[in-house]
Amino acid sequence: MSRLWIFAARDLRRLAADRRALVVNLALPLVLTSVMGLSFGGGIFGKKGISAIPVAIVAADLPEPLRERLLEGLRESGFFAPTWADSAQADALVRAGDVAAAIVLPSGALDSFFNADSLVIEVWKDPASDVKAGIVQEIVQRGVLRLQAGEAAYRALWPQDVVLAAADSVALADMFRGGLGDLWRNLRDPDTAGTQARAVDFLARQIDHHLALGRVLSRPTVGLVVADRVPGAGNGGRETNLFDYFLPSFAVFFLMFAVAAGARDLHRERARRTLQRQLLGPGPAWPVVAGKWVAAVIQGVGMLGVLLLAGAVLFRVNLGPDPWTLPVVVLLTCTAAAGVFMLMALLVRTEKALDNLSTAVILVSAMLGGNFMPLDNLPAWSRSVGQLFFNYWANLSFTRVIGADGSLVDVATPLLVLGIGSLVLLAAVLVLFDARVRKGGWT
Amino acid sequence: MIEVRDLVKKYGPQKAVDGVSFDVARGELFGLLGPNGAGKTTTIGVLSTLLRADGGQVRIGGHDVATAPSAVRRLIGVVPQEIALYTDLNARDNLVFWGRLHGLGGAALNRRVEELLVLADLADQARRRVETFSGGMMRRLNLVAGLIHQPEVLFLDEPTVGIDAQARSRILELIADLGRQGLTVIYTTHYLEEAEQLCDRIGVIDRGRLVALGDKESLIGQIGDVDLIRLAIPADRHEAFTAACLGWEGCVGVGERRGRIEVRARDGGQLLPHIQAWLEAGGVPLEQLEVERPNLETLYLNLTGRGLREEAP
Repeated sequence: MSRLWIFAARDLRRLAADRRALVVNLALPLVLTSVMGLSFGGGIFGKKGISAIPVAIVAADLPEPLRERLLEGLRESGFFAPTWADSAQADALVRAGDVAAAIVLPSGALDSFFNADSLVIEVWKDPASDVKAGIVQEIVQRGVLRLQAGEAAYRALWPQDVVLAAADSVALADMFRGGLGDLWRNLRDPDTAGTQARAVDFLARQIDHHLALGRVLSRPTVGLVVADRVPGAGNGGRETNLFDYFLPSFAVFFLMFAVAAGARDLHRERARRTLQRQLLGPGPAWPVVAGKWVAAVIQGVGMLGVLLLAGAVLFRVNLGPDPWTLPVVVLLTCTAAAGVFMLMALLVRTEKALDNLSTAVILVSAMLGGNFMPLDNLPAWSRSVGQLFFNYWANLSFTRVIGADGSLVDVATPLLVLGIGSLVLLAAVLVLFDARVRKGGWT
Repeated sequence: MIEVRDLVKKYGPQKAVDGVSFDVARGELFGLLGPNGAGKTTTIGVLSTLLRADGGQVRIGGHDVATAPSAVRRLIGVVPQEIALYTDLNARDNLVFWGRLHGLGGAALNRRVEELLVLADLADQARRRVETFSGGMMRRLNLVAGLIHQPEVLFLDEPTVGIDAQARSRILELIADLGRQGLTVIYTTHYLEEAEQLCDRIGVIDRGRLVALGDKESLIGQIGDVDLIRLAIPADRHEAFTAACLGWEGCVGVGERRGRIEVRARDGGQLLPHIQAWLEAGGVPLEQLEVERPNLETLYLNLTGRGLREEAP
């Protein structure tokens, strides 16, 4: 048995014997994530999630074909359960808590849009449904931003003759003849009823184009991207679920505490003199700390594995498109986490100092690295700073695999960062430990 | 077996060990006696390769601890002052871990573990978590863990700290057995009775310096056949008592320590009637009186001016 494995096996045996550690590392995260799953995920206990967020849509003067198209689009987005309502009904529904929010397009909204006039879309939120209403507001805000950006690009890049050429009949072309503003008026003209459906379809495609352009021109900051959730656009129409994000992000959060506890054990062993006793064994010193690192990695892989499997079984969390991508993400997340906290343990003199430092690092990195809030919803500065922490890259990998069914290719960059980071951190841990032992600082 | 020459170890500008030299023969039980902070543990740290010396030379079994630490480690076992065990594991698992660390495995390891559990009188407690053990049981397990790889030299750093008299007695018996089996032992303690009972030779260490070295008889002989009389009387009568005492036959010296008078006398029994008469004549109340035969405590007191239970400054 190699010395490294002797040390790792010892730590794992101690962990298995420690019922309190099992509760803190496994049972507690499992309970908390289950509560989250029941709140957001549904799973075997019934489907919930963002797709079930009830919203009322108020857009009184939309013609019927466009209205149907809008409702269909909202349903297909995977986020909303929309209900058509007039202004008064929507107000009542929100107040009664029957819907989380109402999206209100004012009268003449499309006139304003096509004529480039000021257009204000309102979101009425149910204060008792803060999270879901906030999500609705967030999505609408992102949509508006993209429409604005797309509108500008559309007008600049899409000459009217292209629009006219695209319209494949005289009647349809007539509807566009006066430009986008006339199209809207023509759509309400009973004389053009025969071509209205095709015109609406064409218009819808133009709006999709708006959105696509907007997506190109706006910064890719949207967390819950409607277009990405359209069936056939990548995840086969599987419903998007906040739990898909928060299960791994909370698991990584708990992983940090578990690995920090493993690193803290280095100081406890030093105080108890078991560390010194190990250093009296034959052979070099590095397997002593490398064994702790291996044990922390195995502990982390077990912890994340159990949580993700529980999420998959209980709440139908997606485990990725193949059997190897997620395990690789889990493994590299754990190697990086173990490296970070082992290095911190070696940089401080006492267990108490390590406690203070690791708690601060965990909380700050969790905030900036997307453990408390989806990465796409974080401000740009936070995402920039968050990239300094391993959990940012772990969360990004999990989001791409679990949230967007991404394969190894899709997570190549974050995995590369985690992999290289793990190697650098491990090398630093081994060198620093050896230096500490040689100088007698740890004996 | 062990040669220590002019050993120096500093922590910053302060010398924790200052020019210590001694030899220990194979199979000898050598005691390093001194109060807390005297430099005993630091000396053991250097001898056991855990600490690097700042000066001097240490050789164990012919190997230099500075240049051949691995060879030295194969020869030595160390029992630290602390309970250096995994208290969340059971006794057997602890010994198995330490055995594997030293390259043992399979049947040989199992056999050795069983031997040591019997030696520590813990065979029937092998599956119990160490955290449920009494202080004495922990100490015995701590001790035998240092023997797992059958070392030729054993360093015992205050192995009886914090346990009751009965548990201490069992530990001392165990160590005496090891000595009889031919193991070379360096035993640090601040309990002089342990050093007197166990050790073939004793080095007295104070403030990092070895102030005396030899077997018990020769050390005590250094202070001669002088008894120590301690008496407590009112402080305002100390001066008068000292003046009177120095005039009595057999009085070697008088001093004052911790509010008590200390009289060194060639024969304490001869001096006692003088003391009694002086007290009665002056109507001086006697609060306490002790007579002590020469021992390592008096030696230590003579050499350092402090008792063994006092911390080194």
